[in-house]
Amino acid sequence: MTKSYYEFFCPVKIVAGHAALEHIPYELSTLAASRPMIITDKGVRAAGLLEHVQGAFAEGDMEVVEIFDDVPPDSSTTVVETIAELYRERGCDSLIAVGGGSVIDTSKGVNILVSENASRLADFSGVGVLKKPLKPFFVIPTTAGTGSEVTLVAVVNDPVKGVKLPFTSYFLLPNAAILDPRMTLTLPAHITAMTAMDAMTHAVEAFTCMAKNPISDAYAVSAIGKISSNLIPVLNKPDDEAGRLELAQASTMAGIAFSNSMVGLVHSLGHSLGALCHLPHGLCMNLFLPYVLEYNLPQRREAIGELLLPLAGAEIYARTPAAQRADAAISTIRGLRDELHRRCQLPRTLAETGKVNREQLPKLAEMALDDGSILFNPVEVDLDDALAILERAW
Amino acid sequence: MKKPQRLNLSELNLGPVKRPYVVLMLEIIGRGLEAASQVDEKIRREVERLPPGFMFEMRVLPNGPRMVMEKTEQGQLQYLGRQAPRTPDVSLKFKHLTHAFLVFSFQEGTAQAFANDRLLLDGDIGYSMKLVRCLNRMESMILPKFVAQRALKRYPTLSLPEKLLGGSRIYSRLAKNLVWN
Ligand SMILES: [Fe+2]
Repeated sequence: MTKSYYEFFCPVKIVAGHAALEHIPYELSTLAASRPMIITDKGVRAAGLLEHVQGAFAEGDMEVVEIFDDVPPDSSTTVVETIAELYRERGCDSLIAVGGGSVIDTSKGVNILVSENASRLADFSGVGVLKKPLKPFFVIPTTAGTGSEVTLVAVVNDPVKGVKLPFTSYFLLPNAAILDPRMTLTLPAHITAMTAMDAMTHAVEAFTCMAKNPISDAYAVSAIGKISSNLIPVLNKPDDEAGRLELAQASTMAGIAFSNSMVGLVHSLGHSLGALCHLPHGLCMNLFLPYVLEYNLPQRREAIGELLLPLAGAEIYARTPAAQRADAAISTIRGLRDELHRRCQLPRTLAETGKVNREQLPKLAEMALDDGSILFNPVEVDLDDALAILERAW
Repeated sequence: MKKPQRLNLSELNLGPVKRPYVVLMLEIIGRGLEAASQVDEKIRREVERLPPGFMFEMRVLPNGPRMVMEKTEQGQLQYLGRQAPRTPDVSLKFKHLTHAFLVFSFQEGTAQAFANDRLLLDGDIGYSMKLVRCLNRMESMILPKFVAQRALKRYPTLSLPEKLLGGSRIYSRLAKNLVWN
């Protein structure tokens, strides 16, 4: 299927590999910045990851002016406004986010306030409100999953109104994403698995949903191949630097794919489950992915079939008759899911999470229909369909 | 055997008719939604969940055509015409007149237009999804099946009475609304 029209955009410089962190001072200087502020959370600090970043500044004349290390898992406009105030007080001129989704979204919010010289983040919520480039902004992901280092959106809670404020602008994209294997080396097995399955889902949905296009397809296929061939080896040998870097790259590539091609029903259901039952996002992805692919199969047999190659490798792909490839791709994903359950007790069904009530399914279905990503799912979904999938995933 | 000729809109010079056609279609959609929100149970249930006084617009960038609707105190959608008394809560924006024409002449489905980056959505996502479902439902009821199938991801299984009655009730209501307003 060829797409009649598409757009693709990713201006983020990727700085990846061995001793990547040590490139940061130079990269900042190319953007005329010299007084960076680091934004991170307590977990990153406790894991000793900040020492790698600070170490990169040790030689040379640039120093980290301020470190804010108290971003909560569910960040808010209040946190963003506090950090922006600190940034101004200390005369910083650039931002480095070190962390996962919440830290990155918080930093995007801070960048809006310090660049626009404003104090109320809510004023900038919406699509395309920002009209000019922001301050130099680097992201160092410490999980390999969200892909937020290459996305143009941020979501921040507004505690006053009790709503989640969305921000969408090309100017929110960082100037650079720094992928250094040291930053994900100590990630515990179950988090490694969950976040990798989030990245896997980004790539699979980008490749199978309505906005798929040839360029994001290339990123998606490559990301799926890297995750398939590196996730289990990394779980076997957590300090495998090369494998960790492959997963980090895969996550960024999947992020580039889905920020251009969007995601679908796995995310609609996953966002609802995450919000209602407070389960980690990656876990929700892992749980719904096979069932949604089965649901989309009638419309997307060919595309899902193509994924057998990166999922299972050339030999299995070649041995499988074309008509059976889509089913084989889905059972490969099921196999991976079962393996992750065996190794890190990652739940395979809603019941196995121990946090979902069967009476909540209708509410979950209703919430999923109101999630924006459902728009891009190749097969239409109504309340009964969503409920049927949830029942299957029970 | 010769294949039956199919009308290919891209071969015709439609430049001059695009604007009046889009203006007309926006009015029909506005009036259609207004009528459907009075008679169709599914659409009524969606509108019920929108906040009171909720306002939305569908427009073509940079400055029109445009269609504005509001939820009334009676819980129905009311067509306000081309002017909005305030900034609408949700805005669906076509980037260019041609893109609106593609959608309203059923050459490109609404979801496909979103996927093709031709249609922008500004405002609360949850409310926007309810609106998209209302639009789809209304289209499935008033359009002939072969046209609706091109516009929608899935043509719903409407029972014959649902289609005939629902469709004709929207039509007659549409006619009344057009005459009386
Ligand atoms: Fe995700």
